[in-house]
Amino acid sequence: MKKQYTLFAILLVVSMLLAACGAPAEKAADCKSEEVFCVGLVTDVGKIDDKSFNQSAWEGVKLAEKDLAATVQYIETTDAKDYDKNIATFGDAGYDVVVTVGFALGEATSKAAAAYPETSFIGVDQFLEAAAPNQAGLNFPEDQAGFLVGALAAQMSASKKIGGVFATDAVPPVWRFGEGYRAGIAYIDPALEVNIVYHNDVGFDKTFVDPEWGATTANSMVDKGVDVIFAGGGKTGNGAVIAAAQKGIYAIGVDTDQYYTIPEAQKMLLSSAMKLITPGVFDLVKAAKEGTMTSGNNFGSAGYAPFHDLDSKVPAEVKAKMEEIAKGLLDGSIKTNVAPVKP
Amino acid sequence: MSNSENNERWKSALKAVKDAILVPTLAIITAVIVGGLVIAVVGGDPFAAYAGLFQGAFGSVKAISETGVWATPYIFAGLAVALAFKGGLFNIGGEGQLALGATTSALVGYGLPLWLGYEPPMYIHLTLALGAGALVGFIWGAIPGALKAYTGAHEVINTIMMNYIALNVVSFLMNGPMKDHNPLNVIARTPLIAEGARIAPIFSGLRIHWGFGLALLAAFIVWWLLWKTTLGFEIRTVGANPDAAKYAGINVKKIMTLTMGLSGMLAGLAGSIEVTGLNYRHELGFSSGYGFDAIAIALLGKNHPVGVVLAAILFAAMRNGATRMQFLTQIPVDIISVIQALILLFVAADSIVRYIYRIKQSGEKVVLTRGWGG
Repeated sequence: MKKQYTLFAILLVVSMLLAACGAPAEKAADCKSEEVFCVGLVTDVGKIDDKSFNQSAWEGVKLAEKDLAATVQYIETTDAKDYDKNIATFGDAGYDVVVTVGFALGEATSKAAAAYPETSFIGVDQFLEAAAPNQAGLNFPEDQAGFLVGALAAQMSASKKIGGVFATDAVPPVWRFGEGYRAGIAYIDPALEVNIVYHNDVGFDKTFVDPEWGATTANSMVDKGVDVIFAGGGKTGNGAVIAAAQKGIYAIGVDTDQYYTIPEAQKMLLSSAMKLITPGVFDLVKAAKEGTMTSGNNFGSAGYAPFHDLDSKVPAEVKAKMEEIAKGLLDGSIKTNVAPVKP
Repeated sequence: MSNSENNERWKSALKAVKDAILVPTLAIITAVIVGGLVIAVVGGDPFAAYAGLFQGAFGSVKAISETGVWATPYIFAGLAVALAFKGGLFNIGGEGQLALGATTSALVGYGLPLWLGYEPPMYIHLTLALGAGALVGFIWGAIPGALKAYTGAHEVINTIMMNYIALNVVSFLMNGPMKDHNPLNVIARTPLIAEGARIAPIFSGLRIHWGFGLALLAAFIVWWLLWKTTLGFEIRTVGANPDAAKYAGINVKKIMTLTMGLSGMLAGLAGSIEVTGLNYRHELGFSSGYGFDAIAIALLGKNHPVGVVLAAILFAAMRNGATRMQFLTQIPVDIISVIQALILLFVAADSIVRYIYRIKQSGEKVVLTRGWGG
């Protein structure tokens, strides 16, 4: 009896191993051939459907699948030490374009760009000091995103008092969000009362991870009559967004559509200042296909998230005005005049 | 010694090996079959998935090198847990000890040249980097060991709590004093360590480094320590029966503290080797979860250094091969965690395996940890 079970188990394993040695079900597309255009994406540690950077970038790649007839594939990174290996998996398979998502993959992407000169590399949120000819960093004009939600806040405020809660302005993207916001408010009405606070009073270790400070600051603004708050800077910003929403005033999120990442604030989340990753990735992939991708730092565009639950509260003329401003920022007829870093 | 006696010895040795590997092997097989069913249920092709997994783990020189890269910290951390188990102690603190070891080695790696003003020679710098990581791991492990020995506070609770302390201290250091202050850097990580504090790769162009050799050496040393030295005998005796050990004249309190210290040292080295051999810096999120995987590895390896090495290589192969599996079949990498959990389940609840395959219980039962009374 015992022998039979053992035999059965051994047979099963052997049959599995045999299957393993046989030809695996490799995808038919041969990325090494000239005719096949292949795009791979490597996520930062996290899931492909994170409702944030990874997912937005992947949607850009999916667009390339549809519009450019690309063969697409992704690898989810489970451990930071696999960055190199995961990128190399695409490089070895002869992929034409590899998209890497997030600042943390910057070094691995630079290394891979040198090792696979035939492949184009697109690094989302990777500001490059030096770039290989086949490497592009996709960055975003945070000042324009801030400008857009500033204009929105200025139009939606009934009390004519507007607040902004940010992590330290020594980090350039945070500075650009905050000052763009200030400029956007002034663009609508320079006479509005603006309260913008940066969390400069603590070190770098604390400034992005201080939701209590964010909440306290937001609450004190609400007490002063502020009725719209835009908050940016990791958990500090999230704390302010949640506090504002709980006090029943409009909150504005940052980076991606935070309707999906801060469910506690959904009911009062007016919009989010967004980096438009999906079209940015798609445009660069398309440029890479056509051989027109410029190496070095590229800039995508900024946008604002849909109003979701509050859509009915936003008047039609405000919506029209927002579209007009977005267009103006894009074609350069409206300028934010924000310095890239704090002077 | 007569021939027949020799034969008998061989036979009993063979039987011991068979007893030791039978249940773990069957547990792995069962987990693979059940995992295959799970893949099939979610709509994947289990054969393609396992083919991809195997290819990714052993299909090329590069793949084998990457499996070795993954196995290195797993061997150290697995040995840490196994050594503690041998002494009747359960070290769940590998995660914290590992993070502190990594952080300390990174600090010595980039800080020493700055502090001295010149770059010390490699044999000194690397030795200091590894030694400092090992020392901090030792201390962090010895504290809960001493608390258990002298006050009776259970090491399971204390190692878990000290994980939180360690991880938060490391988080503070990575975000603050030890953060790479290059203005372009926005993430919590240290600067790169100096060239002189790095372990060389074994082959140029591949990432596998001499840390893997050190891991095998560590496995040998642990085996030698446990079975060939007085200290090892004392550790095992305390593990088997602390009361008997006490009456035999063994200083149980000292041995308990020392066992946890050595365990912590091995876990600390797992982190140190990752920093000096592979990443060349420490970063929040590096090496997370290894301290917990190590418990599974020690259990699967039956707390024997050879078993730990084999189990570590198996886990490494699964984690490494997962990338290729996902690349070829788009089956989520999470399935690997499912299979690993199943292996652990079948090893820990070995009566399930014994029932399925009709194997009789034989030999002594392994004592993993004791209650409050100790």
